[in-house]
Amino acid sequence: MKTMRLLKALWVSLFILLPATVFAQGIGPIISTDDLAKVLKNPNVIVIDIRKVEDYKSGHIPGALGIFYNNWAPGIGNLKNEMPENDDLIDLLSANGIGPDSTVVVYGTTGTPPDRVDVTRVAWALKYAGVKKVSVLSGGFEKWAVREQREVSKEVVKPKAKPYTGTINKGLLVKKDYVKNQIGKTIIVDAREPAFFKGEQKLPFVAKNGRVKNAVNLPTIQVFDKYPPGEHMEPCCWTYKDVAALKNFASGVVGSDLNKEIIVYCDTGKVASAWWFILSEIMGFKNVKIYDGSMEEWMKDESAPIEP
Amino acid sequence: MECIACHKGNKQGKTKEDAHKGRIARPSDNIYTCGICHIKTGQNYAKALHYTSLGQREGVKHRFSAEELKTFDKKVFENSCRSCHASCGSCHVKSPPVSGITTGLLQGHKFIKKNEGKTCAACHGGRVYPEFTGEYGGTPDVHYQKGMMCNDCHKKQEMHGDGKVYKSKNHVKDRPKCQSCHEDKGNQVAHTIHKDKVSCQGCHSSGQYRQCYSCHVVHGSKAEPGFILGLNPRDKKTLTTLRIIPTVRNTFEPNGIKMENFDALPNYWDSAVHNIKKRTNRTRSCDACHANREGFLKQEDLIKDGSKANDALIYDIKPISK
Repeated sequence: MKTMRLLKALWVSLFILLPATVFAQGIGPIISTDDLAKVLKNPNVIVIDIRKVEDYKSGHIPGALGIFYNNWAPGIGNLKNEMPENDDLIDLLSANGIGPDSTVVVYGTTGTPPDRVDVTRVAWALKYAGVKKVSVLSGGFEKWAVREQREVSKEVVKPKAKPYTGTINKGLLVKKDYVKNQIGKTIIVDAREPAFFKGEQKLPFVAKNGRVKNAVNLPTIQVFDKYPPGEHMEPCCWTYKDVAALKNFASGVVGSDLNKEIIVYCDTGKVASAWWFILSEIMGFKNVKIYDGSMEEWMKDESAPIEP
Repeated sequence: MECIACHKGNKQGKTKEDAHKGRIARPSDNIYTCGICHIKTGQNYAKALHYTSLGQREGVKHRFSAEELKTFDKKVFENSCRSCHASCGSCHVKSPPVSGITTGLLQGHKFIKKNEGKTCAACHGGRVYPEFTGEYGGTPDVHYQKGMMCNDCHKKQEMHGDGKVYKSKNHVKDRPKCQSCHEDKGNQVAHTIHKDKVSCQGCHSSGQYRQCYSCHVVHGSKAEPGFILGLNPRDKKTLTTLRIIPTVRNTFEPNGIKMENFDALPNYWDSAVHNIKKRTNRTRSCDACHANREGFLKQEDLIKDGSKANDALIYDIKPISK
């Protein structure tokens, strides 16, 4: 009789928990607003709003935690967009109740090119920290709230803190000396626009024009499409291109050997995160890294090989 | 209420020019406009530092002789400093103008209770607010990380005043203090050792904050990141974060003020910087201060031709005896 009761309890638990697990498993690296709406009440899914606190407080996706972008990519020393110190990162995850097995969905805004890559930079920091399942919302908050007029909340969500137990994935981040050593041995991807890759333009904080020697170009402009599509439609936001198109474009530049090491860089290590995310999380390349110092650091070093 | 109730103008005017005759662009510059209904708030605000701007006068007046102070009050304070006061509308309707530029209405012409990111940040956005959000480098202030905004520490009374006239914020008793929320439980050795010797931000400021140099010098001002530790000029005993207040010897020369007592005040003042973190280089390692002297004000770093009072703020930190 006791066994029967235990079995019954087990079945009931399974019945309750199964849909949540299935939904959590069903979330791909890029999630649409429709799919996010379906999993919003799933307790295994943690949604993170990375806009500024004041924007979060004026309305956010219901249930989302507000953890501003700068927490995930602070300026450190003379470099912008750096990985936080490990203890800071662990504090941040612990304070927000994020564990290595949490399913995390990141969203922000998509209005400007730098805004569009904020989410993948945060996703990279989460993966670096050891969080296994991380997704980014296509179209951002504008698509959810402005275009689709979905429910927003002003209620500040208080996270349930718990000690973070994941293991840092040190291999996702490489330093300047490592990149120098890998020139000619690995695929080095410059994720900036062609004019920057060719050395025709540079940002003011980058010391010199040019690129890392032997780098190939995967411009980040190729990652996004205006939404809704069509010349006569007023766009609200930017969404990720179709996965097949992204794969097609990327494999033309980096090939299709999934075991090959790839190092991605840009000017500060932020823009690079878009292609890192696509190559690593969508296309399945097993060894993709970001050179976080990027051109901001590289071009200050007279001994760092550049071209043209 | 109709527009003319506050903005005046000519209701019968048929053209824009006629209708705008006598129009008042910033009606709440006159506190009576709002104070007619918000009586107590209006009465308090007329004496509040945000309105009187007296803090700016207090900060510099000890550099002047009695005669110079009279000139300052007449030529500088009323015409320049006072023009920066915040009207009711600067926080509740339209973001305040900074150097003549405003980011516009906060939410149409709706009166809103608060929108710190647009109102506080407009005036305090050169240094404090971007430090708070981490936009000048470093992770955001821990309070911002927790979703706190300006008004969570700086309460309504600080904004509207309490009905008394104060010379500066340093004369106000009830100001935000770390200890109001963070009680020292005596379980941190570092807290016990440094109690009354180092301010909280001395250790918990995450790093570089904005320092302004050369303000009012012919070629204009220059802002650079920096982290400076030195003795608090107000007590000369406590080590704390210092910020450069860039008054230079010829700041008021165009107004005929030489600042006869320029050296009475230093150019570095204690600053409760808004980039507080649980962990910093100094909380991670005692050596950051006691061996490496990171950020400590040194003779060779003092601003050129600065006040002689700056020397007294240099603190010669000793290594830890083992």
